[in-house]
Amino acid sequence: MIEVRNISKSFGEEQILTDISLTFERGKTNLIIGQSGSGKTVLLKSVAGIHEIDKGEIVFGKEVYSAMSHKERQKIRKEIGMVFQGGALFDSYTVYENVIFPLRMFSTLSKKEMTERVEFCLDRVNLHQVEDLYPSEISGGMQKRVAIARAIVLNPKYLFFDEPNSGLDPKTAIVIDNLIKELTIDFNTVTIINTHDMNSVIEIGDNIAFIYKGKKWWTGNNKEILISNNKELNDFVFATELMRSIKK
Amino acid sequence: MNTFYHIGKYLLFLTKVFKRPQKRNIFIQNIFFEIEKLGINSIVIVFIISVFMGAVITLQTAYNIELSFVPLYLVGLGTRDSMFLEFSSTIVALILAGKVGANIASEIGTMKIREQIEALDMMGVNSESYLVLPKIIAAVFTFPLLTLFSMFIGIFGGYLAVYFTDAIPIDDFVYGLHYYFIPFYITYSLIKVVIFAFIIATIPAYQAYFIRGGALEIGKASTKAVVYSSILILFFNVVLTQILLS
Repeated sequence: MIEVRNISKSFGEEQILTDISLTFERGKTNLIIGQSGSGKTVLLKSVAGIHEIDKGEIVFGKEVYSAMSHKERQKIRKEIGMVFQGGALFDSYTVYENVIFPLRMFSTLSKKEMTERVEFCLDRVNLHQVEDLYPSEISGGMQKRVAIARAIVLNPKYLFFDEPNSGLDPKTAIVIDNLIKELTIDFNTVTIINTHDMNSVIEIGDNIAFIYKGKKWWTGNNKEILISNNKELNDFVFATELMRSIKK
Repeated sequence: MNTFYHIGKYLLFLTKVFKRPQKRNIFIQNIFFEIEKLGINSIVIVFIISVFMGAVITLQTAYNIELSFVPLYLVGLGTRDSMFLEFSSTIVALILAGKVGANIASEIGTMKIREQIEALDMMGVNSESYLVLPKIIAAVFTFPLLTLFSMFIGIFGGYLAVYFTDAIPIDDFVYGLHYYFIPFYITYSLIKVVIFAFIIATIPAYQAYFIRGGALEIGKASTKAVVYSSILILFFNVVLTQILLS
């Protein structure tokens, strides 16, 4: 479990997050939703430790991340797998080299064991025969799956996804959503997904937190979101004709 | 005030760069990769520039010595000392600041805006050390070798110019090359180029590491990297010359 307690974050004069408290459960897909500029990416990156928070606490299990030394944080980071919005694959490395990278940096496995682990992870995300290709030679959906394979290669306890479906067609987006759901259950991870894809919200939203103007505005799940009377939430979720028809 | 802010930030950046590498074999592998990218891939440009500059220095000196009492061997001596003292270190460093500096800035800048550096940090990798330290070591190791190469090729260029134009007798040129040779000039040149190599590897990396925004910013960072590196090279050229030759 990850607990976020009363965190605030600003960049210069601009207040991005204000007094947010949330709990992200293990074995469930925890979604952070909100409009562009609402602060959800900053929230995710603050929880991931990329941004330093101004106030509050972030607790991984029983350990207060925000109070840890640099060395302790490095240790926790090795338990986190993160998939960035654009995949963040290393352009000059092949798919195989990208996925094996964390193993080469941090594991003591033999070369053979590392290769087996990479093959397992690529197989787990349904990628075959692409090991020797460079990221620019594969599709956006495949790049996302490579990024997921890289994120799970060290057997993480925590999985973070920043807009995993951005730039993907709806069919591929469903594949990625299902994959995230399966991995969360299989690896029993605390999975946090930052998204504004309503299809993901309905499909895999075990826990949902709606961030509005940098504040926690609403929490619930994918069933409760459809019947909520929260005005700002409804304006966001049912902004399209399709979603309004689903509600009806 | 802004200058002091950047000096402080640059020094803090360097403290992270010089942290112990996390995995020695990967670090060594990266150094060899950078030696190829920054050093070996610069051999051709250094060769072309050095051969032509050596030839031009020789011809200009020869055509400007019209007074009969000036011995012709001074053309060879002038070419040698120009190459050894200034051209093969400072001018080659300025050219490398353009080629290698822009390359480093665009590589790290692209990694920054594509979140690859955040991905490294997220994995627990010290991105500053992982990305920049191999470049510093590669540059500090290979640029002095390129300088020695440039000295040799520059003099060879001068020799070719004399051979093909008959500007002065070739024996006078060769005599001048040997005349009153001061080995410290090579040491002086190599000391300078080690400092220049450090500037060329770190200033573009610093400029690119902290960029925010999109592709346009990479271009701006590359330009700034080349301009600031060049200014610092010229500044340290004066400082080191005063210290080493006075």
